[in-house]
Amino acid sequence: MNFSFSSYLKRLRSILIGVLIISFLPSIFFGIAPLQSMKLWEYTIENRKYSLFPDIFDKFFYSMTIFFTALLLGLLVALLLTFLATLLPRSLKRAVYGFLTLLESLPDLFIVIALQVSAVYIFKKTGLLIANVSGVYDNRIYFFPILTLSVLPTIQLFKITFLLMKEEQNKPYITVARAMGLGNLYITLNHVFRNIMTSLFQYSKTIFVFMLSNLFILEFVFNLNGIMTIMLNTQGVSFIITVLFIAIPFSFLFEVMESYRGGLNVQKEDAA
Amino acid sequence: MIVRLLKQPQFLIGFLFIVSFILLSFIYPSVMDVQKESKFLYDENEVIVGIAPFSPKDMPPFGTDMNGKHLLYLVLEGAKYTILITLVIAFLRIFFALFFSLFHRKSKSTFFDDIVQATLYIPTAILAYMFMVPLFVKDATEPMGMMTLIVVQCLILVGIGVPPLVSTFSEEIRSILAKDYIVSTFSLGSKKPYVYYKHVLPELSSKLLLLFAQQAIQTLILLAHLGVLAVLIGGSKTVMMGDIFNLTPSTISLSGEWAGIIGQSYQKLLTAPWIILVPLSFFAFTIFSINLMIQGIQNSLESNKS
Repeated sequence: MNFSFSSYLKRLRSILIGVLIISFLPSIFFGIAPLQSMKLWEYTIENRKYSLFPDIFDKFFYSMTIFFTALLLGLLVALLLTFLATLLPRSLKRAVYGFLTLLESLPDLFIVIALQVSAVYIFKKTGLLIANVSGVYDNRIYFFPILTLSVLPTIQLFKITFLLMKEEQNKPYITVARAMGLGNLYITLNHVFRNIMTSLFQYSKTIFVFMLSNLFILEFVFNLNGIMTIMLNTQGVSFIITVLFIAIPFSFLFEVMESYRGGLNVQKEDAA
Repeated sequence: MIVRLLKQPQFLIGFLFIVSFILLSFIYPSVMDVQKESKFLYDENEVIVGIAPFSPKDMPPFGTDMNGKHLLYLVLEGAKYTILITLVIAFLRIFFALFFSLFHRKSKSTFFDDIVQATLYIPTAILAYMFMVPLFVKDATEPMGMMTLIVVQCLILVGIGVPPLVSTFSEEIRSILAKDYIVSTFSLGSKKPYVYYKHVLPELSSKLLLLFAQQAIQTLILLAHLGVLAVLIGGSKTVMMGDIFNLTPSTISLSGEWAGIIGQSYQKLLTAPWIILVPLSFFAFTIFSINLMIQGIQNSLESNKS
């Protein structure tokens, strides 16, 4: 770990400049000032104005709860599935991989809407409401958003771990372990998984960014009042603040991850 | 390169799917007899027994939308616009990004880097929405014609994708320029444009195809998202629908692309889910074909290496 605070600040400065540029570009291009009647600390949803503070804290935590629970759930399920997949015979593994490519092609929107519609359909047919499928003002829903948000990361993580596992299987240390008479299960759990976790770390940034985009469409379809809804409905200063709310913690995470990865590489070079 | 790609079955299948989609979309009126509209359903006594929208069960294969237009017809009609717009956008993104990254490397401006850093945290759909809404406002006050609107919208969608690509490309170019044979080419006295044209571009070219396909997928997803947000390519028109007692304003997409079908009846999601799910599954299908192509390209690249 060689996390440096100054490089984090540098990154934040760069983000701030970027957001500033982005938020003023539309008005520069089209010559339209951000809604004149809008005050600085307000956002509008369907022509009703709300003040940004302190709503934003509440909504931010709500969104982040969904986000990280979904991420954890996705990671756990993906690892479990990979573990099960390693037990499959070789011919089936190819089929699994092909199936994963098919699943990965489903747009996030498709999954969100399909799950929502099927929940409603089940309710109509059997009268069994699995969980609420739409958020109404104060009634916060957790189950369906988390489930939906975790589907795509699960597929992606599963695919990545599956590939990594395949790569790892041919490495010398596995052969040695086999020769020593260690069981397949023991090797997978104790050695392969640990090595995969560190490689998996490299993909975390892509997955985080991808999930943020998913979170947005999820909030829109499920009508959740989260941070992304605010981001969609703001302009100017409050837009910048909303973006910073997401950017500050996430860039911190990225910075930590990158420094950690850098540390890993140094270790590897030392070992070599 | 192309011959090698054509030997990859996955690439071929994906490619054929997409090409046949576009071709079918252009020539279907002369080949197939697609019924365009049926607003009412009659029984044998010519009595109206149903009114649009019809579910896929009533009107196979895909049912109809709120106005009684058959979804099969809409999807076929929209395929050419959707896929061609996507391909054009993806191509232009790659083209401009390459163009900028050749200059970007020289001038050490951090302009693009800053924007890239910021766009990580803003979903692309929101970014596109931010630019599209002022455009619609402007279009409402001083109409600019549908073609101009489409061109400007495409340019926005291109512009959103360029900065991240520029940073990818400049990193790629930097790593190519650091290679030994490039360094020795420089020391033998060759000019920069020559090296870029002769060495850097060929090295990039295999990567370019891959990035092009990935950009196409991203653009398709972005289009679908924008459809849900009711930001339609080619603009939309609000019409009064329903009977005299129950007038409801509804938006009609002017260009026939798939996101437009989604956008104009998104509000009816729970009454007629198939209107949304059919175009969405066609989106999924197109993305799947492109994914197959990507798989093929990667396979051929790997066999090239070994």
